[in-house]
Amino acid sequence: MSLPKAQVIVYPGSNCDRDALWACKYVGFDAEFVDIHSDVNADLLVLPGGFSYGDYLRVGAVAAREPIAQKIRDFANHGGLVIGICNGFQILVEMGLLDGALLQNSNGRFISKIVELEITDTSTPFTNYYLKGERIRLPIAHGFGRYVKTREVNAVLKYTSDINGSDEFIAGIVNSNKNVFGLMPHPERAMEKLLGSDDGLRVFLSAFNYIKNHGGVRA
Amino acid sequence: MKYLDILETRLGRKATKEEIEAFTVMWSEHCGYSHTKGYIRRLPRVGTGGNAGIVALDDYHFLAFKVESHNHPSAIEPFNGAATGVGGIIRDVLTMGARPTAILDSLHMDRIIDGIIEGISDYGNSIGVPTVGGELRISNYYKHNPLVNVMAVGVGKNEHLIQSRATTPGQVIVIFGGATGRDGIHGASFASEDLTGEKATKLSIQVGDPFAEKLLIEAFLEMVENGLVDGAQDLGAGGVLSATSELVARGNLGAVVHLDRIPLREPDMLPIEILISESQERMAVVTSLKKAQKVLEIARKHLLFGAIVAEVTDNGRYIAKYNDEVVLDVPAKLLEDSPEEEIYDYKPSPMPKFKWIRFKDVDAHDVFERYDYMVGTDTILPPGFGAAVMRVKDSSNSVGYSLSIHSRADIGAQDPYWGAYIAVIESIRKTLSVGATPLAITDGINYPDPDIQPLGLAAQMAGLKDACEYFKVPVASGNASLYNTYKGKGIPPTMIIGMVGKVENLNIHRPKRGPIYAVGFPDFNMERENKLHNEIVNLVKSGNFVLSMHDYSRLSTFNKALSNIGLTVKIDVPRTEPVHQMIIVFGEPKTTLPTRKIGFCF
Repeated sequence: MSLPKAQVIVYPGSNCDRDALWACKYVGFDAEFVDIHSDVNADLLVLPGGFSYGDYLRVGAVAAREPIAQKIRDFANHGGLVIGICNGFQILVEMGLLDGALLQNSNGRFISKIVELEITDTSTPFTNYYLKGERIRLPIAHGFGRYVKTREVNAVLKYTSDINGSDEFIAGIVNSNKNVFGLMPHPERAMEKLLGSDDGLRVFLSAFNYIKNHGGVRA
Repeated sequence: MKYLDILETRLGRKATKEEIEAFTVMWSEHCGYSHTKGYIRRLPRVGTGGNAGIVALDDYHFLAFKVESHNHPSAIEPFNGAATGVGGIIRDVLTMGARPTAILDSLHMDRIIDGIIEGISDYGNSIGVPTVGGELRISNYYKHNPLVNVMAVGVGKNEHLIQSRATTPGQVIVIFGGATGRDGIHGASFASEDLTGEKATKLSIQVGDPFAEKLLIEAFLEMVENGLVDGAQDLGAGGVLSATSELVARGNLGAVVHLDRIPLREPDMLPIEILISESQERMAVVTSLKKAQKVLEIARKHLLFGAIVAEVTDNGRYIAKYNDEVVLDVPAKLLEDSPEEEIYDYKPSPMPKFKWIRFKDVDAHDVFERYDYMVGTDTILPPGFGAAVMRVKDSSNSVGYSLSIHSRADIGAQDPYWGAYIAVIESIRKTLSVGATPLAITDGINYPDPDIQPLGLAAQMAGLKDACEYFKVPVASGNASLYNTYKGKGIPPTMIIGMVGKVENLNIHRPKRGPIYAVGFPDFNMERENKLHNEIVNLVKSGNFVLSMHDYSRLSTFNKALSNIGLTVKIDVPRTEPVHQMIIVFGEPKTTLPTRKIGFCF
């Protein structure tokens, strides 16, 4: 069987694309960059962090309306795994693949630091290598990360204290099928002890092994 | 009027209106370095010359780095002044063929000016270059003249090193990036004046577009990787005029520039305005006519404007045209050849007994937690522990580099020579403390009025030169910001030292639980300095975490950094003179220097 394949979508203004590619390769994915005009051909799609289109309009709003958006939607509807990190989360919300909204941090500022989080759901393909209730440390770096609920959502990851004003301290959610995961913290920045934390490694390992065990959706 | 006379003498005729505009920019202190180039020539230097300093990191990679000030714009318009300061220095590193990997900022102000922090944060975060360190000095000295010095660093592969010049007649120059508007016209001349002057208005401030900068970075690196770039220069102070004339003058060539081809944001601009506009996020690439189409294609793909605007000629003349009308026709070399002011020899006096002029103790986390310091996933040692340490991911032999930015204006205020000298020494100690070997320096000269106080500048430059020679750390690049005055009253001479070091062992020690010692001497004696350096190296080798600071009563930032990794220290802060030879060591130190247990880390 060939290796699980990941595609990292590079939007104009993405800036964690190379970090996400590195993280995918680090756990064994056959990984490549694709742009907004490319076709989707992967087992895992990564929407990386950054400032797509400068976030000059509402965060993620322009990227959510690019040609690749419909392909992402089709891929997700067929059960393909999609992870949106930071700006990627904002784009998934703008696309309507995840519920809610991401507003400016309650202190009005960009926040860059390492925060403590609790894993609240381990039944997703992205978190099954964690223990329920486990506390982990991941970097955050965002100005618009305040998650606001519009209906009940499946929270997967919560801050253990009020970081940015998010409803119920929510940091990451999945859709009802649990194949689309959006989160503000950066697991791809916490892959190696050398950089201070490897608590994010298991997000990518979980996805990798889920695909290995269940087979991908790639045509 | 002095420079106008020089210009007309050299031209052998009256200067035209356009020539006066052009030479006002090119011979401004900001572009021409009239007061400092004589001193700079005397420094021990390293590298290829060009937009940023270059040093070899290993057999495959080079580091490009430079510090640049944006003091004057930041005083008038903090947000855009600081933001475009980041953008400009990033492009300086980029033009060398390096991917920008880190930003450090040295901020001197009388209080934390939110707009400046926000400007750096907004721009740096958007373009995906981490801000990994800096210094934050709060003092009333900088009430009217905040100093915003930003250092950028990049890593490139040796085969991608780009020169900052044209090499053959027949080459063409492509300008690509954002469109050109009226912003920043005469920014360079404004940056070379007292801030009370009538030019101190917002009209001279450039406006930043970080999204365009991000696209520019990716587009340019793609051009470099495809072998399309024969030479490059970013458009900063002096705009099209400065970039294109420097490219050809350095190669002893000339150029014909077609101003009508430059993509405009404001369609009714005068030719001379197009020539000297300092609109940001633009780059000039020297290439062949054949490769130029590919260059334009890549620019378009990254949503940028681009046009072939100039041909390189062999006659040494710099000719700017708008359609058939000649706007400017002068020798290219003359534009570069700004008049030199007299320089002074300075004989240092022995180090006097300094008094403490303490700057406010602020926790810099309030500032750097607004900067993304982790993007790129190469930041091994985050801000707050001393010099930053970065790795190079694709190197087979796990090589890294250390980065620091440091100044001693408190000493500079008392003796400019020693202010510069001590800043170099302490930068070396900081570099050694993270297990790195100093490679080179980029110097940020910040000075009041050199016409009123010429000797202070001479002293500052001599201090830099002597320290670099004595400790064998060469200067690879630098920047000068003069006339940091308000109503004639100036800042203390503030020499900012950016230092890069080579790290061969990426397993950097972090503070650990256990005893803490003060090691060394509370005063300073030059004979002991090399010995102290050796001892720092040995202590780091034997596994100790070493903290090297100039003022151990200012520990807020360090304490917060410790608490972020779950540690606390309880120490009896060692008392020292303002210039001392004391380090703080975590764990039992094996050393022949005097040691004293001062507390615990738990």
